[in-house]
Amino acid sequence: MPAPFTSDQILELLRDNDIVEGASALTADSDLYLAGLDSMALMQLLLQIELVLGVQIEPGEITRERFSSAGCLAGFLNERSKRAA
Amino acid sequence: MTLPSSETYDVAVLGGGSAGLAAAVSAAREGARTVLLERRGRLGGMGVDAQVHTFCGLFHPDVGRGPKWLNEGLPREIGEMLLERSGQSGPDMEGRVFVLRHQPTAFARLAMELCEREPQLDLRLESKTGAVRREGELWTFDLGRGDGRWSVKCRALIDTTGDAEVAQSLGGAFVQTAPQGRLYRPGFIAKWTGVASGLTDRDRLTISGEIVRGVREGALPAAAMGATFRNSPEGGAVFVSLDLEAGAGDWNPLDADCVEAVKDEGRAIMTVLYQWLRESMTIFAQMTGPEFPERLGIRESIRWRGDHVLTAAELTACARFEDEVALAGWPLEKRETARGPRSEYFSRSEPAGIPARCLKNSELPGIFFAGRCLSCDHEALASLRVMGTCLATGQAAGRMAAAYAEHGD
Repeated sequence: MPAPFTSDQILELLRDNDIVEGASALTADSDLYLAGLDSMALMQLLLQIELVLGVQIEPGEITRERFSSAGCLAGFLNERSKRAA
Repeated sequence: MTLPSSETYDVAVLGGGSAGLAAAVSAAREGARTVLLERRGRLGGMGVDAQVHTFCGLFHPDVGRGPKWLNEGLPREIGEMLLERSGQSGPDMEGRVFVLRHQPTAFARLAMELCEREPQLDLRLESKTGAVRREGELWTFDLGRGDGRWSVKCRALIDTTGDAEVAQSLGGAFVQTAPQGRLYRPGFIAKWTGVASGLTDRDRLTISGEIVRGVREGALPAAAMGATFRNSPEGGAVFVSLDLEAGAGDWNPLDADCVEAVKDEGRAIMTVLYQWLRESMTIFAQMTGPEFPERLGIRESIRWRGDHVLTAAELTACARFEDEVALAGWPLEKRETARGPRSEYFSRSEPAGIPARCLKNSELPGIFFAGRCLSCDHEALASLRVMGTCLATGQAAGRMAAAYAEHGD
C-alpha cells in the first residue's frame, strides 16, 4: 500500500484486531502505551502493519517514540517510505 | 518406628502454595496446633513450581503516593523479606500497578524457614491426601506419605489446593467453575540464564521486532508472540512468560494428559524462541540455557462456592464489607486468550474488601478456603488469583480456622 499512511489506518488496525482495549475511543494523539500497548500488543501491531499495510519494520527501527501514538506511527511510516523513494 | 494410626490437629492446611503457607503460619501463630500438607517436594506452589516470579496485589492501588503495603501481617512480612533478600529497594511500577519481582528458589527457601520457625506447625511435604469426611466434631481424611498411611483428624480444615479439592470430595453443591473455553489461559515460564545484562526498554522493543521477524520468516510459530520478558532480580537472567491458547475450549487444567500436552507445547515453543533470540541479539548470545518449570502456571480451575460469591462488580466498585478479612487491589487481569491480558481497573484508586463469607460455607462448619479457590465469580478471580492477594486470603483463613478450632465460631 503506498504512502501516505494515516493515523486512521493505524487506529483501524488496532480496532479491527482487538489489539488494545477501548481502541474505538482512541484518537491520533492518544498515548498507545496508556491504552495498553505492551510488548505482546506491539507484536500484533507489527504483524498487522506488515500484513495490511505491507510494511516490514526492522527490529532496529522500533523506538518508544515512534509507537507512542497513531499519529506518530503514521508519521514514521511516511518518513520511511519517503526515504526509501 | 511405629506409625500412629491417626493424628489430631487443631488446623490442617491442604496445599502449600502462597495461600497455604500464609494460612498455616498464621494459624500456628494464633496458637493452633497446625499441620501443612503439600503434595510436592517443596513449598511455594505457582510461585516456585511454575516460576511465577512476581507477587502482584501486595500494594495499595493508589500508586501516585508510592508503594504502600495493602495487607498487614504476613503479606507485608514476606514481601519485605523477598525485597531484602533480592537486594531490591522496592517494587517496580509496571503501567499503573506495583509488582514485586522475586527469585522462585529464594521464595521456596523462605517458605521453608517461615514454617520451621513455628513450633506449633508441622510441615509434611510429599503428602497425598484422600477424601474428606465428617467424624463427630472433627474433619478427617487419609494421608499417605511414602509407604506410610494414616488418618488425620482436625477441628478446622483449610483448602488451599488451588483446585478446591476438598469441595470436589464433598460433592458438587460446593464447587463452581467457568466454561473451558473461557478459563484463563495457562502460562509457561522459563528462566534464561547467562544474559549479558538486564533488559532495557529498548531491548524489549527489539525483542518484539525480532519475534515478529521470526514469525514472518517462518522460523517461529505465531504462538511465540505470546511471550513477555522480565529481568530476574538476581541479575544475569530473565524470565520469559508464554501465554498458551491450550486448545481453546478443550483446555482442562484438571486433566493430567491435557496439562502434559500443553506443557510439551510450551517447552517446544520456548526452545525455538530461545534459539532464535540467542542467534539474533547479542545480549542473548552467551546464554547458558533455558530452565523449564516443573508445572504450567494455572490461573483458573475449580473454586469453592461459599456463603458469598464475590463479584467483579463489587471489586470494581471498591465495595467494602463489615466482615471483610483482606483487601484486594489488583486490577481484573483477564486472560481468556493468549494474546495478552485485558485489564479492568477498579473505578477508584481504592481497594475492595474480601468478606469472610467468601472463605467459608456455613453448611460445612470448620472448613475454610483461600487463594485461587476462594468463592468468587470468574471475572473477580482475574484480580483475586494473584499471589499477593493469595497471601492475604490465606492469612485470613488461617486466623479464622484457628479461632474456630478454639471457640467453635
